[in-house]
Amino acid sequence: MDSDRPLLIPLDAPGPLDEKIVGGKAAKLGRLAHAGFRVPKGFCLTIWAYEAFVEDSKIAAAIGMELGRKSMDDMRWEEIWDAALRIRATFLAQPLSDLLRERITEASSGFGASTPLAVRSSAIGEDSAGCSFAGLHESIIGVRGKRALEDAVRLVWASLWSDAALLYRKELALDPAQSRMAVLVQEMVDADRSGVAFARDPRDLRKERAIIESVPGPCSLLVDGAIDPDRWEIDRETNRVITWLPGQREDGDETPLLEPRDLEVILENLLSIERLFHWPPDMEWTGRSASLTLLQARPITTAPPDTDETRNWYLTLRPGDARLKRLRERVVEQLIPELESEGDALAAEDLDLLDDWKLADALEKRSETVAKWKQIYWDEFIPFAHGVRRLATYYNDAVQPEDPYEFVGLLRGQPLLAAQRNRAIAELARQLASNEALRTAIENVLERCAGALQWPDTREALERAGVGAESFIRAFEDLVERFLDITYDHQRLHDETELLLRNLIELCRRPDSLEGGSSAPVDVASLEQRLLDAVGPERHAEAIDIIETGRVSWKLRDDDNLLVSRLESQLLRAIEVAASRLRERGTLTGAGQPKREHSGLLARALRTESSDPIAFEVSDRPLDAEPSTRSMGETPRQLIGQPASPGVGTGLVRCIRGRDDLSRFRSGEVIVCDAIQPTMTHLVPLASAIVERRGGMLIHGAIIARELGIPCVNGVRDAAELLEDGDFVTVDGHLGIVAVGEPEFDLELHFESPGAD
Amino acid sequence: MIKSDEPLFDDDVASGQAPSSDPAVRERIRRLIDEQPYAVLCVQGGGQPYGVLVAVAFSQDLQHAVFSTPIETRKYRLLSECNHVALVIDDRSKKADKLMEIEAVTATGSSHLIERGEDFDRWAELLTARHPYLKSFSRAATCALFRIDVIRFLHVVRFQEVCQWIPTAHS
Repeated sequence: MDSDRPLLIPLDAPGPLDEKIVGGKAAKLGRLAHAGFRVPKGFCLTIWAYEAFVEDSKIAAAIGMELGRKSMDDMRWEEIWDAALRIRATFLAQPLSDLLRERITEASSGFGASTPLAVRSSAIGEDSAGCSFAGLHESIIGVRGKRALEDAVRLVWASLWSDAALLYRKELALDPAQSRMAVLVQEMVDADRSGVAFARDPRDLRKERAIIESVPGPCSLLVDGAIDPDRWEIDRETNRVITWLPGQREDGDETPLLEPRDLEVILENLLSIERLFHWPPDMEWTGRSASLTLLQARPITTAPPDTDETRNWYLTLRPGDARLKRLRERVVEQLIPELESEGDALAAEDLDLLDDWKLADALEKRSETVAKWKQIYWDEFIPFAHGVRRLATYYNDAVQPEDPYEFVGLLRGQPLLAAQRNRAIAELARQLASNEALRTAIENVLERCAGALQWPDTREALERAGVGAESFIRAFEDLVERFLDITYDHQRLHDETELLLRNLIELCRRPDSLEGGSSAPVDVASLEQRLLDAVGPERHAEAIDIIETGRVSWKLRDDDNLLVSRLESQLLRAIEVAASRLRERGTLTGAGQPKREHSGLLARALRTESSDPIAFEVSDRPLDAEPSTRSMGETPRQLIGQPASPGVGTGLVRCIRGRDDLSRFRSGEVIVCDAIQPTMTHLVPLASAIVERRGGMLIHGAIIARELGIPCVNGVRDAAELLEDGDFVTVDGHLGIVAVGEPEFDLELHFESPGAD
Repeated sequence: MIKSDEPLFDDDVASGQAPSSDPAVRERIRRLIDEQPYAVLCVQGGGQPYGVLVAVAFSQDLQHAVFSTPIETRKYRLLSECNHVALVIDDRSKKADKLMEIEAVTATGSSHLIERGEDFDRWAELLTARHPYLKSFSRAATCALFRIDVIRFLHVVRFQEVCQWIPTAHS
């Protein structure tokens, strides 16, 4: 088999390399080597090596299972990322065959013993003028040692199924049974200058101009965008430099990184490659003048830019370590303190003291503040949230654990705002559990109020009842002020004291739920040590930094939602004050309540003495859900999703679609919702299981369920539409299955057909 | 193409979920049945389950299926003893290496022997329209025609996703 379908081919093997066997990158480098260009020594693992590996390990079926869980068009990017992570773990868990290991060892003997290697993808058809999928697949540099080389090969293979590649699955025609990946292994060349160069300006190929970019150090710094390069435009015919733009360097040095002779040699190489291939190349290079070495050459892509904005946005969400670190500094040191302080300032403002004009100003300012922070949320908080994902791949690559989510243990115990709130709620519930008279008094109030509870009246009633309510009242009011100045279902939770009281009564009925998680304890220190041992002492600092970034990223992913929600709550407060004032004036009529989007309208009305009346009528909540298919005789019997937290739980479904559902929720029910939000995590301990439409192993519901040891299946397509309140379900968090109803055959046994014989 | 990230703070976009891309289950069942001319008939006798491949045809409303069998067969005898049956139809033969794409339908119900007469012709025609090569077979004197009144369908896809459809529920 090996002679007809070689697993490995040296780059300098006689004869041309077949692009269909070694991929475009390796085939072109082989041709350059044959033509006398300086190319780093190396070899290529052919698509047959991939094929044999996949066949031996039966990975195609595993990939099919991951990608077939639901239509990929229905998958959120978080689910695609999860699928890619599990596929990556599957590749890492499979050993290379003895034959392939032998071939790699033989071929590697030609490299210097201490020379680091670059292991790069060479996918079929990835580099052509009509399409460019650069950056979708993995390249690993600085690889040293046999074990690291084998790991790198598997990771590059796995990157055929990376999250980015999966986004382009249609363009790449990805198919577990058909797709193949070749891998290029080369010596790394250590040089003080590297860069990219284009034989023609990619923006206008008709111009007789070449473009050269250079950075000090390896080319990866430029490709990753870690360093701003020097950039030259050069006349192809005269070698004349038309423009030179220095890159921004930290030391402020503006000396050109390349000498005229360096530029000449690069241009000569570009033009020679163009003559060889008959297309103007886009080339990666390293080293200067006589030692100029070519790392890659491909046609300048003429493909139109991708018009899928969401996909483009997602591809920007993979910041490298340097950018993550910068983001961490900015988010932690500047943005979060600013966000907190803006929330504090808005909360401290006494809106009742403002005259109409100033109240209108306050409304507009609050509206602008909310808009500004939502933009920051998308631009900076979401990219920073990838710190957790970086930790995931770093941990898994180094430790190669059986469970690809073992790293989540490293995130345990972060002082999340939601966790602090949940502890305060649990403490209040404990007070109620130990004071039966107080509990009964509250239950009586709740029974009488029937959805119209007013806190001042309730407080007075409790004080009058003489049931030792004083400390409870203080703690309750403190909790509301500190933690519930947020919105849920377009209402301020701050105003929803009845909901909180009902939840507290429910919580104190299940004292065991107040004790915290029942999941297996995680020894965070030993996980940290596991990672440090795996990476080795020379990378300890890097590993510690990545853990820290992951933790901060995870904590803020939770906190930033609550802090932005607080600003929205403060905007709603101003709207309430404005609406009340306008009602007194007769300018506002109708029983409806103005919403966030009406702040401009209210501000204008406040500034106008005699504006026309504005009517807000109560409108029924729009129905998000499609009409139930049950009327057509269809009933879900078993739904599938991601197994997000292990265990099996049964119970009656409670669909949470709004705050009324939160107050109806009863201990022991199964929460079925779009997504567990930070505003409702205090109810999770009461649930026997969780089912979410939103998928992802790192979303709030999944993490909290795992911490509490509650079974969770998420990513269940149309969960809240297919399931109905009162359905009996069994949630299997091991397999990601939600079985609906009891197993029964009553229908068949008792059915009497009108025409039965 | 991809679902974008959704903030967890109370935002308008949080509820903006796209409908799923799958067609209604009954349509998928109908399509599978249209594609697959054969089914595994599951019967029982004395507590012992038994399965056999049959050529089958369904009525337009999917409430009935029809098949024929020689009267000396084991399945005929078992059907005479117990008329609780199931039919299993799947497309695994064309998707053997794509487990998550295989679709299967189990139809449960009761079987009824069709006596010769006007009704017999109607049901026999349903069967032979789908399986013209069974014309002489199904009209042979020793061949029995059975109608299955389907009580429910259980449609399975993606290995474990199961939905029930009761065809009489909307009639």
